Amino acid sequence: MKQRAVPYILAAPAVILLMTFGIFPILVAAVVSFTDLDVVGLADMSKVAFVGFDNYANLFHDPDFWKALANTGLFVVFGVPAIVICSLGVALALNSSNGRFMKVLRSFYFVPAITGIVAISLVWGYLYNAQFGLFNWILTSLGADPLPWLSDPALAKFSVALVAIWRGTGLNIIIFLAALQGIPQEYREAAAIDGAGRWRTTVSIVIPLLRFALFFVTVTTMIAWLQFFDEPFVLTDGGPLGATTSASIFLYKHGIRLNQFGYASAGSLILLAVIAAVTVLQLRVKGKDDDV
Amino acid sequence: MKHLTRLVTGVLSASLTFGMAACSASTPSTSTDNSLTFWIMGDSGANFQKLTEPFTKETGIAVNVTAIPWDSVDERLTTAVASGKGPDLLQIGLTKLRQFADAGALMKLDNELGSYPGLAASNFADAVAGQATAVGGSIVSIPWVADTRILYYRSDILGEAGITKPPATWEQLRKDAKTLADRGAGQYGYYIPQWDSTLPVGMTWSHGGDIVGPKGTIDFDSAGFNKMVDVYTGLYADGSVPLNADFDQAQGFVSGMAPMLISGPYLSKMIRDAAPELDGKWNVAMIPAGTQSSTSVFLGSSLGIWATTKQKDNALKLANFLSDPATQLKWYEIQGEIPTVKAALNDSTFTSDPMVKLYAQQLASSKVIPMVPNWDHGTGEELLNALNSIALNGADRGTALADLYKKTADTSAK
Amino acid sequence: MMTSEKTGAPHSRRWARDAQRSGHSARRAARGLRVMIAVALTLGALTTAFPLIWMLLGSVKTQREAIAYPPLLVSQQPTFEYFARLFTELDFTRYLINTVIVVLIGGVGLIFMAMAGYAFAKFEFKGKNILFFCVLATLMIPVQVTMIPTYLILNGLNLTNTLVGIALPTLVSGFGIFLFRQFMSTIPTAMLEAARLDGASEFRIAWQIVLPMSKPILAVQAVLTFISGWNSFLWPLIIASEQKYYTLSVGLSLLNKQLATNPSLKMAAASVMVLPILVVFAICQRHIVQGFTMSGLK
Repeated sequence: MKQRAVPYILAAPAVILLMTFGIFPILVAAVVSFTDLDVVGLADMSKVAFVGFDNYANLFHDPDFWKALANTGLFVVFGVPAIVICSLGVALALNSSNGRFMKVLRSFYFVPAITGIVAISLVWGYLYNAQFGLFNWILTSLGADPLPWLSDPALAKFSVALVAIWRGTGLNIIIFLAALQGIPQEYREAAAIDGAGRWRTTVSIVIPLLRFALFFVTVTTMIAWLQFFDEPFVLTDGGPLGATTSASIFLYKHGIRLNQFGYASAGSLILLAVIAAVTVLQLRVKGKDDDV
Repeated sequence: MKHLTRLVTGVLSASLTFGMAACSASTPSTSTDNSLTFWIMGDSGANFQKLTEPFTKETGIAVNVTAIPWDSVDERLTTAVASGKGPDLLQIGLTKLRQFADAGALMKLDNELGSYPGLAASNFADAVAGQATAVGGSIVSIPWVADTRILYYRSDILGEAGITKPPATWEQLRKDAKTLADRGAGQYGYYIPQWDSTLPVGMTWSHGGDIVGPKGTIDFDSAGFNKMVDVYTGLYADGSVPLNADFDQAQGFVSGMAPMLISGPYLSKMIRDAAPELDGKWNVAMIPAGTQSSTSVFLGSSLGIWATTKQKDNALKLANFLSDPATQLKWYEIQGEIPTVKAALNDSTFTSDPMVKLYAQQLASSKVIPMVPNWDHGTGEELLNALNSIALNGADRGTALADLYKKTADTSAK
Repeated sequence: MMTSEKTGAPHSRRWARDAQRSGHSARRAARGLRVMIAVALTLGALTTAFPLIWMLLGSVKTQREAIAYPPLLVSQQPTFEYFARLFTELDFTRYLINTVIVVLIGGVGLIFMAMAGYAFAKFEFKGKNILFFCVLATLMIPVQVTMIPTYLILNGLNLTNTLVGIALPTLVSGFGIFLFRQFMSTIPTAMLEAARLDGASEFRIAWQIVLPMSKPILAVQAVLTFISGWNSFLWPLIIASEQKYYTLSVGLSLLNKQLATNPSLKMAAASVMVLPILVVFAICQRHIVQGFTMSGLK
């Protein structure tokens, strides 16, 4: 075997699969975005026409699309810090002792991350139910007013985001925990000798050492929120009145339900551009940060 | 940079050729000569298999049943049309019929039905027979099961509130609902399913309105429609109905929180199973009348034959078997879905039990939702959005309705 | 302990001052803090796991209990009737088998990702950077919108309505390749070079040096692959046009959102979906943290 061929052979299967099912479909979508492809066209390609930039222009004038983008922005702005802070906090606490007990607790926090979305929708649907759900029963037992968890436009945003946060922290806790355990004990001991308190050690020594993990978690979490789909899809279907319609939900509805493939493809390219821009921006910021 | 450009153009041209090839590579249905693939909606697959056993025994044609989750019907249609890999025969909800037909997925049956007396239009309930569910003038489906809405009420709770009989008109219902809602905090008089886009249509008909204009396009703007909006939003304004979208109707009815509601036949089975102690404390009635009539919506499903099936004759044979009154009654017995065949509806099963008889009665005065390109996620969703934004979000009625008229105008309904 | 609990949030800062004041009280405060953290974490853990505990409890309720109000936490007459129905009346045995097969096919993807990770970590080759960029770029692509093209590709390959087709679109992930690369970058290059000088074949190097050293990350990836394969919903739904290829999540969604379906039955079905994965995770969780620790994510 020729030495030079080795890396290509190694990388080929995975890269080919990723190209076929990741990159290539988005290129198809790029082409489709300039057509009026619908379900009739899908069966008979001769009925598809190129429409230039019409889809993009229409999207630009579609208030629902802007609303979906705004919703997505809102989810990102509140969701990313929520997940990062929750998972970092829990990881720091879990890492504070090496006892057996903590290891058992660890599993509990990871459980939501391994639960399938269909099961999640079922259970949370019951918990959130305004009349017969457990949450409102607890609220009324405490003498408070019941809340319309999934029916009030503002509260529904919170409710679907809460489930996503619940589900999203598990893996990130593990990543932070791993990073924490990778910090050599000497660093902390040195700090302790210097008389630094626990809090100060955490803030000024531990967290800076977690920089890469923090960056990694932030980037992946942000991408996940920009693509936010599962929870609103199964819990509210984007409602009430579009309040939880994220960009992905909007695209799904137009693409799959209304079969406006050209329109949805154009939207998906815009979403992809937004995600890429945000990610590149983060990489830039991180790059600068590292230079200092 | 040059490399990148070359790469992109290369991939793009490859994508087009591949995409086209993939699209045109339509292999027809997978079934071989002696088996039929049938797509059924929801979780009734096992029962359907049982239903068709005699058919298989008699004809030697095996029936391959695949259940499709109700939520995923659109995905399945799209992929099946795209690949050409559909079933031979399938169940289609009436509000989706046009969508399937427009996609070219359904075989036109106008010239096929003559050789099967069991499939003649005259056998089926008038609301769905023949031209009533034709798309663009062609018959593309055979009626299968019926579903309609009737009024459920808790006679015990109504009695305690001094209401001796179920409301016969929407005006009366609104009054009674108010009385019942006044029972206390967290108590309601009636329940409006916020996801049900067909209910307002039935109410519009009952008030003498229609939603299709003289040109055969959707036109909501009528006096009857406006009267419906009065009732619909009025019930909310009175505080007579729960505001949340996830209200569970079965629990609401059993617990007495919503002692009146309009629902389909499946609710009776659920109440009997979950709360046998309520026997005799609840009943059903025809849905209230508007200013003109008590018109309900005829829902349910039809059978379609996949346009590219190679097994047209066998598929028609199965459809013929399924349209047999005995088969339809058997299906009611094991699955609780109401027949569309008149002979089955006139059977003693449907005439002896007063509660069951009512379904048949209500069906007789029901109409189907107009065949628009996409009711569930298009016209119907717009209608619900408009009504709910007025009732729940305090949107201005005039603006919301004008917006609805504008958005749905010119939607063809044939 | 009681006092430190009452002081609330600024406790750690106070503890920091105390620490400087006297060793004795510092030790006591440290223990108090530790107990407090443990209590808070336990409460948090129970809250986090609660929805699933609720699901498990709900799966054995009778239909009456399931719709009772106020909600009943623990069933008075627990029944396993609904589990039995899943496997007798409904086809959950088949869905379970299909799900296991899809997960096993995912194992092939695991090997592919490891190979690619190794190539990106330890080899220099033309086009490496752009390829790796493409790998990472796939993370940014929203799946729902590429569904139809992906379906058409699988259809072109004649893989629709097969279990392989269900597993294929998500067989490898950019995230997985990235983690493998991160981890394998920490393997000393000198070691590989020495083996090459000794005349070892590339295959032997990969098999006897790289693979054994990568066990921790393999464990992590194995679990992540298992989870994603087990839970995958979109592709089984779209690719499997015949019910005999349905997986558990599709089977569950057949029951979902239907008024006529019993809540206990749904809860039982959800439990069947969640329990096996809980067991797998409980067994492997130690390796997961370890694997991530060594992947240089710090």
